[in-house]
Amino acid sequence: MKLNIEGLLVYFPYDYIYPEQYSYMLELKRTLDAKGHGVLEMPSGTGKTISLLSLIIAYQRAFPLEVTKLIYCSRTVPEIEKVIEELRKLMEFYSKETGESNNFLALALSSRKNLCIHPEILHANIVVYSYHYLLDPKIADLVSKELAKKSVVVFDEAHNIDNVCIDSMSVNITRRTLDRCQNNVDTLQNTIHKIKETDAAKLREEYRRLVEGLKEANVARETDIYLANPVLPDEILQEAVPGTIRTAEHFVGFLRRFLEYLKSRLRVQHVVQESAPQFLKDIFDKVCIDRKPLRFCAERLQSLLRTLEIADIADFSAVTLISNFATLVSTYSQGFTIIIEPFEDRTPTIANPVLHFSCMDPSIAIKPVFQRFQSVIITSGTLSPLDIYPRILDFRPVTMASFTMTLARTCLCPLIVGRGNDQVALSSKFETREDFAVIRNYGNLLLEMSAIVPDGIVAFFTSYVYMENIVASWYEQGILENIQRNKLIFIETQDAAETSMALEKYQEACENGRGAILLSVARGKVSEGIDFVHHFGRAVIMFGVPYVYTQSRILKARLEYLRDQFQIRENDFLTFDAMRHAAQCVGRAIRGKTDYGLMIFADKRYARADKRGKLPRWIQEHINDGSLNLTVDEAVQLAKHFLRQMAQPFRQEDQLGLSLLTLEQLQSEEMLQKITQIAHQT
Amino acid sequence: MASLSEEVLLVVKKVRQRKQDGTLYLMAERIAWGPEGKDRFTVSHLYADIRCQKISPDGKAKVQLQLVLHTGESTTFHFANESSALKDREAAKELLQQLLPKFKKKANKELEEKNRMLQEDPVLFQLYKDLVVSQVISAEEFWANRLGGVNNTDPTLFNNKQEVGISGAFLADIRPQTDGCNGLRYNLTADIIESIFRTYPAVKQKYSENVPHNLTEKEFWTRFFQSHYFHRDRINTGTQDIFSECAKQDEKGLKSLVVQGVKNPLVDLLSLEDKTLDEGYGVSTTQPSTSNANRTVKESSNYAIIKRFNHHSAMVLAAGSRKGETPADQASETSSTDGNSRDSDFFQPPVKKVKLQEAIEYEDLQRENRPKTVALNLKKSDRYAHGPVPLQSQQYTTSQDIINSVNYIRHEMANYKPNLTQVVSSTAASSAIVALSPGGVLMQAGAQQAINRKFLSLMFSG
Repeated sequence: MKLNIEGLLVYFPYDYIYPEQYSYMLELKRTLDAKGHGVLEMPSGTGKTISLLSLIIAYQRAFPLEVTKLIYCSRTVPEIEKVIEELRKLMEFYSKETGESNNFLALALSSRKNLCIHPEILHANIVVYSYHYLLDPKIADLVSKELAKKSVVVFDEAHNIDNVCIDSMSVNITRRTLDRCQNNVDTLQNTIHKIKETDAAKLREEYRRLVEGLKEANVARETDIYLANPVLPDEILQEAVPGTIRTAEHFVGFLRRFLEYLKSRLRVQHVVQESAPQFLKDIFDKVCIDRKPLRFCAERLQSLLRTLEIADIADFSAVTLISNFATLVSTYSQGFTIIIEPFEDRTPTIANPVLHFSCMDPSIAIKPVFQRFQSVIITSGTLSPLDIYPRILDFRPVTMASFTMTLARTCLCPLIVGRGNDQVALSSKFETREDFAVIRNYGNLLLEMSAIVPDGIVAFFTSYVYMENIVASWYEQGILENIQRNKLIFIETQDAAETSMALEKYQEACENGRGAILLSVARGKVSEGIDFVHHFGRAVIMFGVPYVYTQSRILKARLEYLRDQFQIRENDFLTFDAMRHAAQCVGRAIRGKTDYGLMIFADKRYARADKRGKLPRWIQEHINDGSLNLTVDEAVQLAKHFLRQMAQPFRQEDQLGLSLLTLEQLQSEEMLQKITQIAHQT
Repeated sequence: MASLSEEVLLVVKKVRQRKQDGTLYLMAERIAWGPEGKDRFTVSHLYADIRCQKISPDGKAKVQLQLVLHTGESTTFHFANESSALKDREAAKELLQQLLPKFKKKANKELEEKNRMLQEDPVLFQLYKDLVVSQVISAEEFWANRLGGVNNTDPTLFNNKQEVGISGAFLADIRPQTDGCNGLRYNLTADIIESIFRTYPAVKQKYSENVPHNLTEKEFWTRFFQSHYFHRDRINTGTQDIFSECAKQDEKGLKSLVVQGVKNPLVDLLSLEDKTLDEGYGVSTTQPSTSNANRTVKESSNYAIIKRFNHHSAMVLAAGSRKGETPADQASETSSTDGNSRDSDFFQPPVKKVKLQEAIEYEDLQRENRPKTVALNLKKSDRYAHGPVPLQSQQYTTSQDIINSVNYIRHEMANYKPNLTQVVSSTAASSAIVALSPGGVLMQAGAQQAINRKFLSLMFSG
C-alpha cells in the first residue's frame, strides 16, 4: 500500500499495516525532520525493520539532498540477512508500483565478504553491516571512515549497544600476548634490517610521510570527510610524530622497552588496580617512557607495517594490540581502569596474570558516530527504561518513544511465580541459591509445565554454573526423568557447535510433535540470537533474575564510574541490566501477533515495582495484579486456560480494524487519533 | 481336551495347585496343569489370555508363580520339588517371559483388527449385534468364520502401520528398588530392552557379541547397570568395563554429529556473529570460566550429565526417525550448488533462503489466499475452556453476561450527560441541607417518613 506519513509518500510492501507500524514511522519521520537522534522501542514481530526501511528509503527518495545514505547496523549475521531479504522485498514492490527499475544500490557486509568494499560503500544508498564496522575503531577506520555526514544510522537490536562499545575499546594482556608480541617485534627488527640493506630509501620515504600523513588526516577531519577515530584523538593530528619514535629502529627499540615494562607489571603477586594517569606516572618513573610517544604508538605501527609491506597483518595482532593499548592508555585519563590480576579467583594456586584495560564509558566509542551523523536511531524490542540509554551513551535524542503491540487477542501471558506449592519463596538470590527446597520447586514448575504446554518450552537460567548445579540436582531427584516422560530435554553447553546441534534437534523434536525442552542461559548465545517462533517456544521460563556476576572487579569499577560520572546508582544499573536480559529471554517466544506464548518469571523479586517497572511496556501492561505472586499450581491453572484460548483459530478478520488495518481504516479520523496514543513518549 | 498335535515345550513335575500335586505343561499356545495320575488338565490358559506373571521373592520358603489373566482372575502354582523348585520355577518363568509378549501383541492386534472391521462395516456390525450380543453364537464362533478372511486380505495393511517411537523416559522406568539386603533390583521388561537396543545400537551390538557365549543375559544386564555407561554422572574409572567401548562410540558419534554442523543457518551459533572481536580485545568474560582444564570433579560430573541428556535425547529422536530417513534431502542439498550464478554475492543455499523467507514473513499483513476453512463456532467459549461447572445457585451469571453488563454500563457512563437545566438552584439546595441537618425542620422525631419522601423527591429532580 502507499501511505501518507505527514505528507511523505511511503511505499509499504504489504496489503495491511499494524497501527504501531504507522505510529513508528511517524515518530521516525519527525526524528529525521529534526535532524536529530532517536530512541524507539517496539516489540519484535511487529515489523520494525520493514517500517524503518520503508520510511527511510521514502525519505531518501523525497529529499535526496537531506539524507544521502542509510547505514543499517544489526548484531548477528542472520539479522543482517533478514534485513537484506526485507529490503529486497521492498525494492520489488517499488519496481512493481512505479514501473521503473530502481537505481538503488544496497550493500551488505559481513566478515567473509569484506574484500574491496571501500569504493562501493561510498556509492551505495544503503549499507547493512554489523555494529563493529561502525563502533570498533579498528574496523571503522578501514570501512566506515568516509561515510557521508548526511547519513541516517540505525542501530537495530540495540539493547546491548553499550556493551559493544565497551568491548571495542577494552584490551586484555596475558603472558601469551606478550610472548607473541616479543616474536612480532623480533620479526619487525629483522625485516627492517633486510630492507635497510636493499631499500633504504623506502624507510626514508616513510619518515617523510609520517610528518605529512598526519597532517593530511587533520585536514580531512577538519574538512569533514572522515569519521573520527576515538583511538586517534584530534590532538594527535595537530602534532607530528615525536622524534623518539620517528625512525623505524627507534620505534622498535621503544616497543621493546614498553614490552619489558609490561612483563614486569605482570609479575605481581597481588591484585593491582590503577587509573590511566597512575599507570603513565609509573611507566615514566620506571622506564622513562613519556606520554607523547605512547599516544602515537598505534599510528606509528600502522605506518611501519605499511612501509614494510607486510601482507598478513593477522600475524602481527599481538603487537597491534599492545600499541593500541599504548595509545588508548595515554589518550584517555578518564573512563578507563587498569586491573592486574595475578590469578583467577577460583584457582589461586595457578599463576595466570592478566592485565585488563577496561573501558567503563560506552559513550567514548560511540561519540564520533553521534557527532558525525545527522540522525542516529537506536531501536530494539526491549529498550526499557528508555531514558537510561541517552544517559550512558551521553547523547540528546529528539524523540524517545515506546510502542505497544496492539492486539486483537492477548497473545502473551506473563506470569510471576513467586512461591512453590509448599509456599517456599522462589528466588535465585545468592542466599537461597543452594536451597534444596527452591531447586525442587523450580523442578516442579518445569515438570508441571512440561505436562501442559504443547511442543517447545525454553527455560533460561541465570548462569552456566547455576544451570549445571540445578540440572545435576534435578537428575539426582529424578525430576529430569519425569520430565522426559513428557518431552525430550536439550541443554545449552559452553561449546557453540554442540549447542547448535542441540538446538537443531530441539527444533526437530518440536516439529515432529514429540515436544522438547531447551535449558539455556541468559546472556548466552541462545538468549541473544535465536528466535523461538510459534511452536518452537510456547512457553519461556526465566528461572531467577539474571544479574551479572557481581564479584568481578571490572564490573565493580564500572559501577563506581557510572555512579560518579552519570549519577546512576549501582543497584539501578544492575537491575536495569538484569531486566533487559530477562526481557530479551522471554521476548524470544513472541515473534508476531499470530504467535502466542507464556512468559513465566520464576522469582518472587519480579513482583517488586523496581523490577517490574523496568520491563518493556508491551510486556508490563499484560501483567495484572492477580498474577504477581503465583504458586506453581496457580500458574499451571492460568497457563492451561491461556493455552486453550490461544489454540482456537485466529483469523485475519479477527484482527482487522483492531490490530491490523487496511488503508481505508488507517485513514479514518478515529483511528488516527487512536494511533497517536500508541507511542508512549518519555 | 489336549489335542495331539500340540507341541509341548516344557514339562515340570511336582507342581501344586490348590494343594494338589500335579504336572505343569507349557505348550505352544497355552499353559496347562493336570493333577497327578489324571489324564486331563484342570487348568488351561491360552497365552493370549494371560496379562502377566508374578513370582514369589527369592527368599520365600514357598516357590510360587502366579498368572494373572486379562479377566482379573489369577492362578498360582507352587513348585514343590525340594531339590529343584527354584530351578523349575526359573525355567518356567524364562519360557513364559519369551512367549507372553508374542501372544500379547497378537491378541492386541487381533482385537484392534476386529474392532476396525466392526467399525468399517455396518452390515457386519449389525450381524455382530444380532448374533453375538443376543447370544445366539459366541464371539469366538463369530470370528472364527471371519478372521480367516482378515489375515489374508491385505498384507500391506499391516506393513503400513506407523512405527511407534520410543518414550524419552524409558530409563526412568527402570528405577532401581532396594531389595532390603543391600542390593538393588532393576525391573526390565521386553519393551524396555527393545527401547535400549533401538536407542543405543552399541549396546545391542555388545549384547549379541557377549550373550550367551560369555555372559548370561542376567549377567549382561547386571553389568550394564553397574557400568558408568548407565550412570553417566560417574566419571569413567575402570577400563575393564565392556561398556567403556560403547561410551567411546557414543562420544565419537556425538563428535561427528557436531562436526557435521547444522543445516539450518538460523540456529548455527558458530556463524551468528559477524565480526567477533580479535583476541585480546573486549571485556574479558565476567563469569568465572570453566574450561576443561580446571574443572573440579563435581563440575565435570555435572557436565557429563548435561552431555548425557543431550545425547540421549538426540538418540531417542534418531531412533524414532531412523526408518524414514532417505538420502533424498541430501541430494537436494548438493544440487543447490548449480543454481543462481548470475550474482554470486547474493547466492544463498536454498535451505537458508527458505528459512530467511520464513523468518521475515508476516502472514497477517498479506491478503489471505488460503482456501477458506470452516471455523469452529463455540457458543459458550468459557464452557469449553473450563469444562462443566456445577451451578452454585439460581443466580448464575456467565462471564459473557458479566462482560455484556460491563459493556452496557460503560456505554451508559460514556453517554451520561448531567441534565443541568433541571438541577435545583443553590439556594434551594442549601436550605434543604439546613432542613436536613440535626436540629433542622425536618429532623424532628416522627417526621422520618416525610424526610424520606422529601429527600427522594429532591434527589430525583437532580
